[in-house]
Amino acid sequence: MAALSPNLIAAAFPLMKLMPARYILDRAAADGALKTGMRIVETTSGTFGMALALLAAARGYRLTLVSASSLIDVKYRARLDGLGAQLIITEDHDSNGDQLERLRRLENIRREEPDCFWPRQYDNPGNALAYARLAEQLLRTVGEIDCLVGCVGSGGSLCGTGMFLRGVFPHLVVIAVDTHHSVLFGQPSGKRLLRGLGNSILPGNLRHDLVDEVHWVGAYPAFNEARRLLREHGIFQGPTSAAAALVGRWAASARPGARVAIIMPDEGHRYAETVFDDAWLASLPGWPCLFPSEPRELTTIEPASETDWTRFMWARRSLDQIVHPEFKNEGLSD
Amino acid sequence: MAAASKSPRHGEPLPSIGVGTAICHHGELLQGVFEDRNGQLHRGLVTLPLAKLASKATFTCTATTALTVHPDDKTKAVLAARKTLDHLDIAEGGILHIDSDIPIGHGYGSSTADVVAAIRAVAAAHTVQLLPSRISQLAVAAEQASDAIAFDGHAVLFAQREGIVLEDFGGSLPPLLLVGFKSSGGPPIDTLNLPPARYDSVEIQQFRVLRALVAYAIRYQDPNCLGRAATASALLSQRHLPKRGLERVIEIAEGAGACGVQVAHSGSLLGILFDRAGKNLRRRADNVAASVERSGFCDVEFHQINDDGAKW
Repeated sequence: MAALSPNLIAAAFPLMKLMPARYILDRAAADGALKTGMRIVETTSGTFGMALALLAAARGYRLTLVSASSLIDVKYRARLDGLGAQLIITEDHDSNGDQLERLRRLENIRREEPDCFWPRQYDNPGNALAYARLAEQLLRTVGEIDCLVGCVGSGGSLCGTGMFLRGVFPHLVVIAVDTHHSVLFGQPSGKRLLRGLGNSILPGNLRHDLVDEVHWVGAYPAFNEARRLLREHGIFQGPTSAAAALVGRWAASARPGARVAIIMPDEGHRYAETVFDDAWLASLPGWPCLFPSEPRELTTIEPASETDWTRFMWARRSLDQIVHPEFKNEGLSD
Repeated sequence: MAAASKSPRHGEPLPSIGVGTAICHHGELLQGVFEDRNGQLHRGLVTLPLAKLASKATFTCTATTALTVHPDDKTKAVLAARKTLDHLDIAEGGILHIDSDIPIGHGYGSSTADVVAAIRAVAAAHTVQLLPSRISQLAVAAEQASDAIAFDGHAVLFAQREGIVLEDFGGSLPPLLLVGFKSSGGPPIDTLNLPPARYDSVEIQQFRVLRALVAYAIRYQDPNCLGRAATASALLSQRHLPKRGLERVIEIAEGAGACGVQVAHSGSLLGILFDRAGKNLRRRADNVAASVERSGFCDVEFHQINDDGAKW
């Protein structure tokens, strides 16, 4: 936990996904669904896979991870290899994460080896339930929390933490951080430069009706914020954490009387040669640009560029109510 | 809490007389299942102690092994006395008198108060100082499930069926004003005949969160956080021992700017918690009292919790 300003606290994790991975494996072991020596299979873009790899190595499970070429770099792959994980990488030429192809590959493995365990981080309710531990840590540290800001990928961390905190603080404002061209909050799928948040499919763990506001942060303001966090706070976190920090900082200054908490899911080492490298940044088209100091309000949900930061008042509605407003009218008429 | 009329433990002439008292409670702020330091789950609770009512036990040592109690229906208290004598390795018995003004069967913890008072009286008669943890273990041995009143005003997360402390919150509850009342017409409840609640994995995780909020509330003396945790625990209890009208009580509490609502998780008591330092406390408490009476609740009483000498 780190205080960024008097009303802003950050839960900065080296590897947040250890929390749901451990909870899901513990539950499965307790229920008998997972036994020592068994294979675990999962589709993952990185940090959940790393958490599984650490736990599988320590607890004596075999592990197969299905990822996409746009999501995984050589060094991360070497770390996973070193932990004994088997990796299957799909070639996603559109750089959208290739989630459907990854799920197809995973299905094949499960057909070939039916006695394996699939944690299903996107849909397993245990993913969200695991975050009672984060809610617990936040409450023990700061007590009352008025606003929670976090990125959405599987929906587990924000919706789990938000659900538990709202159970004691019904007024809690939940702010979801997504990125352009992610389908989570109604944008069309497309190429995304900022990884670790957003999705090209809708995970079951995303509960739209918990969310008050959605922010879509482009890669450039997130990269810039990651550098600022290191420079001004000595916090070395990845660009996903930085996207949450950018929105959280704005939310805290817009609500001076409220206590705001940010979830930061992973550390910066993986990005040492990209986001934290000046030459790499300078090679980005249009870098440096003018970085927005506040979001642009959207009335219609639509993608923007990687230099943009947009905001939409979601108001605890379902995705159908936003994307197909006629459903909402039907709902109100009966 | 305990005093002996004579001090010698060995060799001096009997009879020696010991007196012990124990306060009651107004149900719980929190009750559920909680992890110990090894990750094992235990049933546990945080008691809301009430110093206004008490049970007083007097133990007179005798030279024979016989152990008698007045009134003679205080069977758990006399069993607790026996367990205490066994713990002290004393063969001789005595006469135990219990004098309590705590109502039975509503969740005030009348039985545990008798038991704890009896243990303290026996210890006092034999000039022994027992720690609250020991008294709790003896109490559980005598009555299967106990509560945390052996700790008096010191707040702990207490495993009521094992007599162990899962977490010592390191202090007392913040000063509170409690407006207590009962569901009208509710029959008294025999705590031990209630089936133990079964909790699902969502509830188990919720209890983790409520425990954290209680810990914060006691550490930083924050009545608002304490009230939020109590309200959530009361709502979770609805699935196990529902209180009629709880939603209405929560509305009344919110309307009056109270910190929250607590219930006796195995009794018929409900309470609305106010920050003792709040403004216009008398008027808000009177309004709440009138509202809950209009909503069909009875026996409305005001209780000061840790008033710290303040008048109101």
